[in-house]
Amino acid sequence: MAIELDTGATAREQTAAATRAMLPQPCQLVIFGAPGDLSWRKLLPAVYNLNVDGVLPSHFAVVGFGLPAEGTVKGDPDEWIRNRARDGITRFSRQDLDEGHWADFARALFFVPGSFNDAHAYAVLKARMEAVDQQFGIPGSRVYYLAVPPGLVDLCVTRLKDAGLVNDPDEQTAFTRVIVEKPIGRDLDSAREVIATVSKAFAENQTYRIDHYLGKETVQNLLVLRFANSIFEPLWNGKYIDHVQITVSEEEGLAQYDPLTGDMLATRAGYFEGVGALRDMVQNHMLQVLCIVAMEPPWSLGPDVVRDAKIGVLNCLRPMTPRDVEKNVVRGQYIEGDADGKRVPGYRKEVRDAFAMMHKPLPPSSVNSTTETFVAMKMFIDNWRWAGVPFYLRTGKRLPKRASEVAIQFKDVPHVLFNDHPDVPLEPTVLSLRVQPEEGLSMRIASKLPGPKVRIYPVKMEFNYASSFGGQTPEAYERLLLDVMAGDATLFMRRDAVESAWRFVMPILDAWEAHRSRDIPEYQCGSWGPIEADRIIEPDGRQWRTL
Amino acid sequence: MTADVLTTDPECLVPLRDVERTLVRKMKELQGPGAAPVLRARMANLVIFCNSLEQAIRINAHIPEIEAVHPARALLVVGELGPEERDVTARVTVRPLNVVGGRAHALAEQVTLHAAGAAVERLPFAVRALVIGDLPTNLWWAAPQPPPLAGPLLHDLSENAQQIMYDSLGWENPVRGVAATASWLDRIERGGSGGRWRVASDLNWRRLKYWRRLLTQALDPASAPGAAESVTEVVVEHGPHAVVQAWELVAWLSRRLGWRLHAGKVRDSVEMAWTFSTAKGPRLVRVDRLDEGPPEVRRIRIACMLEGKPAAMNLVVEEEGRRLAIRLEGVEAAPRTMTVPALSAAELIGRQLSDRERDPAFRESMAVAQGMAQSLL
Repeated sequence: MAIELDTGATAREQTAAATRAMLPQPCQLVIFGAPGDLSWRKLLPAVYNLNVDGVLPSHFAVVGFGLPAEGTVKGDPDEWIRNRARDGITRFSRQDLDEGHWADFARALFFVPGSFNDAHAYAVLKARMEAVDQQFGIPGSRVYYLAVPPGLVDLCVTRLKDAGLVNDPDEQTAFTRVIVEKPIGRDLDSAREVIATVSKAFAENQTYRIDHYLGKETVQNLLVLRFANSIFEPLWNGKYIDHVQITVSEEEGLAQYDPLTGDMLATRAGYFEGVGALRDMVQNHMLQVLCIVAMEPPWSLGPDVVRDAKIGVLNCLRPMTPRDVEKNVVRGQYIEGDADGKRVPGYRKEVRDAFAMMHKPLPPSSVNSTTETFVAMKMFIDNWRWAGVPFYLRTGKRLPKRASEVAIQFKDVPHVLFNDHPDVPLEPTVLSLRVQPEEGLSMRIASKLPGPKVRIYPVKMEFNYASSFGGQTPEAYERLLLDVMAGDATLFMRRDAVESAWRFVMPILDAWEAHRSRDIPEYQCGSWGPIEADRIIEPDGRQWRTL
Repeated sequence: MTADVLTTDPECLVPLRDVERTLVRKMKELQGPGAAPVLRARMANLVIFCNSLEQAIRINAHIPEIEAVHPARALLVVGELGPEERDVTARVTVRPLNVVGGRAHALAEQVTLHAAGAAVERLPFAVRALVIGDLPTNLWWAAPQPPPLAGPLLHDLSENAQQIMYDSLGWENPVRGVAATASWLDRIERGGSGGRWRVASDLNWRRLKYWRRLLTQALDPASAPGAAESVTEVVVEHGPHAVVQAWELVAWLSRRLGWRLHAGKVRDSVEMAWTFSTAKGPRLVRVDRLDEGPPEVRRIRIACMLEGKPAAMNLVVEEEGRRLAIRLEGVEAAPRTMTVPALSAAELIGRQLSDRERDPAFRESMAVAQGMAQSLL
C-alpha cells in the first residue's frame, strides 16, 4: 500500500518506510482530455509500456473522458479510444507494439465521451467506473489525470467533487488522487488561484503537480550520484565548485513542418505566445533541477523530507532587483535561420502563420511579439554551501541541438606545477549530467599525453545509460504515473515549491513588463542564442558550454 | 568504404536530425546482441572542410588511419561552391577500432556533410549541431585556398574550434597566402569566441620538424664553430608544390641567424631570391623549384666557413625520405645523418590533433615570411 508519512513517526521509522519498495496500488487511471495530444503522444504509450514491463498493478484499468475535436465519437467509444491509443503507441512508444501485450492493454482501456461542463456526463463516468471496478476487482481507487487546458481545471475538479467522485484524503483503500499538468498559473497570483481551486476538491496529499523533467532517469540519478557516492558530496560546495551551468536546449521551434511540402503541420503558438521560455521552462523544469543539484542531503527519502530539502534551496535563491534583472538576465527571440539543413522562419512569422492556420485573428500584442524564446541568467543561492557560486541557466528554442544537461565545473588547480604558465591553458574539470537526449554522465579530466614531454590533454570519461544498462530507459511519464499509483509524491511539486518558484521569477517578469519594448535581442535559428547572453558570463572569465 | 561514405545514392542519406540516433543504432549493430558495451572512441572533434568531392574522396580514405592515431568524431564537410544548388545532406559511418580476437573494442564515428551552391553557407549550422561538447574541436581546412583568403565560411566553421589546421602545401597563390598569413594567425588566435584558447597550425611546419632539428645541429657552435656567423648564402631546393614549405624554412633560418630582410625578387615562378643585411654584409637566400620529385624540401646548401676555410654544408634527403644527411664541401668529414620516422599524411594530422601548443618559432618565422612575401609583391 501507499506510504503516508506520519509526522509523529521517528526518523528511523520514516527512513525505513521511505526506503521500503513502494508498489503501485490497484486503481483506475482516469484521463481527462483522453482524445488530446498529451494522451495520444505520452500518456497512453506510457501506460502501454508499463503494461509490457509488467509493473502495473494487477487490478488496473484506464478510462478516458472528454470529447474529440470533432465533438462526437462515431461508433463504439471504447473502440475509438483503442484505435487512437494504438496509433499513438505505434508512433511514439519506446517499445514496439506487440499484439499479445496490446490485447491485454486494450481490454482494460475504455472511453466515456462527454463534456467537462456536463453534469450528466460525470454521472455516466461514475457509473462506468463502478462497472470497471467490478470487472477488474478494483477497490474504488482513482487517479485522475487532468490533461486539459489550465482554464478547465477549475471546472473539472468542481464537477468531480459535485459528482461525489472524490474520496476523503484519509481513505486508504479507495484512494482518490489527481495529477495536475503545468502550467500552474502564469504568475504568482494565478498560481495561487489554481492551487486554491484544486484544493477545493483535493487535499495536498491527494494532489500531484507533475513536472515530467523530474521523472527522467538522469534527474533521479542526480540524487544517487550525490548521496550514494562518497567522492562527490565532500566536493559539492563553493570551496571546490567554480560554477554550475544548467542548459535546456531545444532544436524545435513553435511549429512542425512537413519535410516535403514545407507546410506547417502543428504548432504550439496558441500555448506559447505570451507565455515565453521563462514561464515555460525556467519557473518549473529548470528550478526543480536546480533544487536537486543544490539541496542539502535529506535525512531520508521520504517524499516530504526530499521536498523539504528542495524548498530549502528555493527559499535561499537571491531575489532579483530590477538592476539585477538588467545585469544578470537576458532574453531573446529567434529570427530566420537554419535548422536541419533547411531555412526556417523566425518566431514572429511562425506566430502569424500559426494564427492564420488556426483561423484565429492575431492578437494585437502578437503583431510584434516580444515573447521570449530564449532566456539566460546568472543567479545565486545564498546559503552556506553555495555562497558566491554562480548558477548559470540557459534555455531556448531553435538552438543547434536538443540537449539538456547540468554541468558542474570545478575550480582550477592552483597556478603551480602544471598550471604555472602552461603551453595550453588547463581545461577545468567538469562533471556533466545529460538529461537528454542520451541520458548519462561524463567527466572531463586532464590527462598526460603519451610521450617524453609532459603535455596535458582533456579526456572525457563517459557513462551512458542505454549502452551500459542495455534496453531502453523508461520515459519520464512512466515513472511518474507509477509513483502516483504508489502514493509517492517525491518527484512532484508541493504547493510551497510552486509558489516559491513563482516568487523568484516574478521580479524578472515585472522588470520586463516595466520595460516593455519592441526591441528584444534576436538570435538566428541554429545559433546558441543572442550574443547579449555572453555578457552575463564572459565578464566573469567563464564561457557558456558547447553542448 | 569510400564509395559507401560519399555515394550519391539517396538511400544512404540520413536526415540531419537523425544523425545521432543513427550513429547509436549502427554502433549497437556492431556491438552484437548481448555483448558488453563497446567504447565510443572520441578524444576530439575533427571537422574537415573540403571544397570538392574529389578532394573529399581522397581525404576520406585517410580518416580511418587518422582515427587510429587520435580517435575523434570526424565530420567530413564537403562544400562545393558553384552554380549547382544542393541542400545539406548527411551520411553516417561507424567503423571498428582496436579489433582483438575478431571483436572491436572501440568504435570510431564519422559524419559526412555535403552541400553545394548557396547551401554551403548552411554547413556551419549543421556542424554546430554535431560537435561534441567537452572535447577539443579541431578544424582542418583542407581546401586549397590559404585560410586568410577563405572568407566567412572558415570563420563560421571555426566558431568553437580550439585548433585550426591548414596545409600550405600546394597553395594556389603562395605569395598572397604567405603575405596574409602572419596577421591572420594573430587575429585568429586572439579571436576565439569568449576568449577561448585557439591555435592555428600549418601542417607544412610540422613536416619541417626534422629539417629544423638538423639545421640547428649543423650550425651548432659546438660542432661547427663560427659556421653560423659566416653563412653567406642559403639555397633551398624543393619539389613541386612545396614552395611555402621551403619558404617557411628559410624564414625560420634567417631569423635564427639574426638577419634583416633587405629585398626580394621572383623569377619565372621557379626561383625566388632575397637579400638580407647583416653586420658582416649582405646575405643571399634562394628558393628553387625542382621540375619533379616529391612535394617537399629536398636539399639545402649553406655556404659558410668551416675550419677557417670557405666551405658548404649540403643537407639532403636520402633513402626515400627516411634519412636526412649533412655532407660537407671543402673540408674532410664523414657525413652525419639523422633518421626521420616515416609519417603518412594521416599520421601527420593525427599527431597534430593532440599538439595544441602555440609554437613561438612558427609565429616568428611567419612574421619574417610575411615580410619576404611583401618584398615580392
